[in-house]
Amino acid sequence: MSVRLDKKPFVLNITITVTIIFSALFIYSCGDEKKKTIGIAEAGTIAKDEIFKAEISKDGPPKDLRWLTNNSDPLYASPEAKKGGTFRNAIKSFPLTFRTIGPDSNTEFRSAILGNQLSLTGLHPNTMNIVPEIATHWAFGKDKKTMYFKLNPSARWSDGEPVTAHDFAYTLEFMRSKHIVAPWYNDYYTKEIDKVVVYDDYTLAVKGTKAQPDLHLKITIGPTPRHFYGQLEEGFVRRYNWKVVPNTGPYQISDIKKGKFVKFKRKRDWWAKDLQYFKNRYNVNNVIFTVVRDDNIEWEYFKKAKIDVFDMTPPKYWHVKSRTPVIENGYVYRIWFYNDTRRSPFGLYLNQDKEIFKDINVRYAFAHAMNIQKVIENVLRNDYFRLEHGFVGYGPYSNDHIKARRFDLDKVDYYMKKAGWKRGPDGVWAKNGRRFSVEILYGSEQHTPKLVVLKEEARKAGVELELQKLDPSTWYTKISESKHEAVMMGFGTSLRPSYWQSFHSDNAHKPRTNNVTNTADPELDKMIEAFRNSLDEQERIDLSLKIQEKVHEIGSFVPTSMVPYIRQAYWRWWRLPEIPGTQESKSLFGSFDSATGGLFWYDKQLHEETKKVMKKKDKLPPVTIIEETFKMTF
Amino acid sequence: MIFASLFAEVLVNKRAIIVNYEGKYYFPTYGDMIPGTTFGLDYKYETNYRQLSVFFETEGDGNWILMPPVPYDAYENDLKEDQFPPFPPSMQEKHYLGTDTVGRDIFSRLIYGFRIAIFFSLLLLGFNYVVGVSIGCAMGYWGGKFDLIFQRIIEIWSNVPFLYMIIIISSIMVPNFLMLIVIMAFFGWIGITWTMRTVTYKEKAREYTLAAKALGASDFRIIFKHILPNTIAIIVTFAPFAVSGGVVALTSLDYLGFGLPPPTPSWGELLQQGWANLDAWWIGGSVILAMIITLMAVTFVGEAIREAFDPKMHTTYE
Repeated sequence: MSVRLDKKPFVLNITITVTIIFSALFIYSCGDEKKKTIGIAEAGTIAKDEIFKAEISKDGPPKDLRWLTNNSDPLYASPEAKKGGTFRNAIKSFPLTFRTIGPDSNTEFRSAILGNQLSLTGLHPNTMNIVPEIATHWAFGKDKKTMYFKLNPSARWSDGEPVTAHDFAYTLEFMRSKHIVAPWYNDYYTKEIDKVVVYDDYTLAVKGTKAQPDLHLKITIGPTPRHFYGQLEEGFVRRYNWKVVPNTGPYQISDIKKGKFVKFKRKRDWWAKDLQYFKNRYNVNNVIFTVVRDDNIEWEYFKKAKIDVFDMTPPKYWHVKSRTPVIENGYVYRIWFYNDTRRSPFGLYLNQDKEIFKDINVRYAFAHAMNIQKVIENVLRNDYFRLEHGFVGYGPYSNDHIKARRFDLDKVDYYMKKAGWKRGPDGVWAKNGRRFSVEILYGSEQHTPKLVVLKEEARKAGVELELQKLDPSTWYTKISESKHEAVMMGFGTSLRPSYWQSFHSDNAHKPRTNNVTNTADPELDKMIEAFRNSLDEQERIDLSLKIQEKVHEIGSFVPTSMVPYIRQAYWRWWRLPEIPGTQESKSLFGSFDSATGGLFWYDKQLHEETKKVMKKKDKLPPVTIIEETFKMTF
Repeated sequence: MIFASLFAEVLVNKRAIIVNYEGKYYFPTYGDMIPGTTFGLDYKYETNYRQLSVFFETEGDGNWILMPPVPYDAYENDLKEDQFPPFPPSMQEKHYLGTDTVGRDIFSRLIYGFRIAIFFSLLLLGFNYVVGVSIGCAMGYWGGKFDLIFQRIIEIWSNVPFLYMIIIISSIMVPNFLMLIVIMAFFGWIGITWTMRTVTYKEKAREYTLAAKALGASDFRIIFKHILPNTIAIIVTFAPFAVSGGVVALTSLDYLGFGLPPPTPSWGELLQQGWANLDAWWIGGSVILAMIITLMAVTFVGEAIREAFDPKMHTTYE
């Protein structure tokens, strides 16, 4: 009995504690409400003498440099564009921090902040030539390691301070600092970039650690506001969590409410607003990112015009959910825009460290047993395209002669018999008691419908697929430790194909590399090394084509599908240029990106007109634009 | 229902029950797969019996085929040209409840899903009861320190958030049928323990136990021969409700995506699809209806058992 009695005070204790915690939370949240604009407009209070200044090189840049600039590439903004309006976007979750570096900073929102940070130079999204950003002129050093830049003297930080060569030297100092808690950046800015040499306030050189082709892709760093950060110290991560850092781009954060929205305001007197490639762009006065946690709710907001644009790439939205009054009455336009950019190598990666996939015939048979065409036709509504190989969309670097292995029962038969397998009583191939049953790992629910169809079709070919959906992080660990048989996944892309990380033996049979197929082929290794070391563009292109052929021949990657376009729905008062986007555009309504962003504008007259029509519940002709300027040929 | 579901292969299957081809009889339901070439077709993979039956009819050679009432299994995708699933119910195509988002027959998935769910919860019940009843009895019978220590252990154990544990475990590895039972039983045995402890305490104090003890019966004998039969009414009464609890638990885990791996037919997964495609009313509608019927049936059975085992009628004092 004594036990029972003892319990009562304990329960009481809990109640009291809970009450205290709740009231504390309540008080805290009330306080938070009032301080909603923390961090904003807190300018740097760094003493003048503490500001970083790089050593000035006495020698000056080499005399025989050939200074280049680019003012002849075609413009892609519309001269009709007008300024004004507020553009509303949705984001899935409120950013965990406004830092773009350090813990928790790698979120979808980071691109919005980074989009407002210009670099030395940029790339023209259609021609892929270098275009000026903060630098007006650039020159390549003879050592193929160094690039020289002349800065635009009118370049300003958002707080009015001029952007100078010291800010670029400071970037190196900043990125190498231990206090930013970003090992990847520490490493990158040490291993890839050797030093920044300052000749005067507006002339500098950036030197890479090794000679390499396409040097400008590595060397064009951005500036870091040294007058804002001053001396870095312990506690950087916490101190700068919610600070709004001065930037060089067209917009700056002007208002936030934690957990609800972030508002960006256009700089009326932005220093670069009349520059050739920035003219008539970044037209909207305010860009608001509102937190909407769920797709279905976002769709409802969009239909109420509380959000201005909605991504309709998934077939379900384009074909089914589009049957809604706002679209049928022509208040909302839909656009299907084909872009021509690098495609993620999405498909099935076969682990050659597993006994079953060591045999090339079995790998080929597996590829021929995947009825991807049926998936595309019957599940993906013929909206997706067959990915032919892992390196589509790299321009001359892509080998368009390679065709993925098609579903073909005879070929499966041929290769399996060649490998010495026989069909078992259940129709599945077997050899020495091992059935041709393969475990397929994948990380997202959205792939399940595709995989169940693949599984049923593979059965016909005598191949059994076991589907294993795992939580992304577990799934990643399992792949890193090479415990998978096959995995369905994609990778990000960079401007040039990167073969070494995915197919070189240096990265095979090791944990945590991108060589998930554990490909180790001496001949391929040689080609990849030659590709990496070559400084000659034509040679690199030739090698690239050969490497892709070899990768296809090894057959450890079964490419599935790609989406060579974007589809969006937008309210009709938003206007786009005649060619609404660029070859590289991943959204037609990106507000910031220095290459592809800010092409759209707000048409007040159309807005008023539409509002009147909607009030009267009149109908307008529904509009679906299909834009194929950049459609890839297959 | 359970009994009928055991023969689901005969009732709901893409394989035919009987095929008569050139005078020979084939029974493809159970056993190895029969390739298309056996029946004079031009492919080596598993025969499509629905097509075969159409083929036989047009040929008219006296070959015939007997298909199950629902000629689809739970995995195959019945896709059509120029149309996209989910397809609404159709008597003509024998998709009595329509198809799901990848063209699988819903009726078929309901039946097979039911079989999995009900056996899952029966087995889970078994595990829970074996562990729960023995520990509960032991606690009640011996009492004292043993009881005290186990009480604390159970209190701690029952504070472990069960759903989170399952979510964590199944995100690390994909659980199979048996493993899921073990995981759930790991946390599920607590409920019955408390009841058993109390009941055993009560029974222990009765004269017949004392008598048995006086006669020199062993603890083991007293617990299993004397006390357990007298508490059976309580155990049995709880059982049906535990079964329906098990079905609901598995369904909700599948709904959240932490249950059995796809493409296992499961009610939870159908429910999830129904929610995501509210305009395809037949998906959500059929699952909800099926759940109502099953859970109601289980509850009615439970009520009946409770009445049948009324302790006033069935107390045995040996």
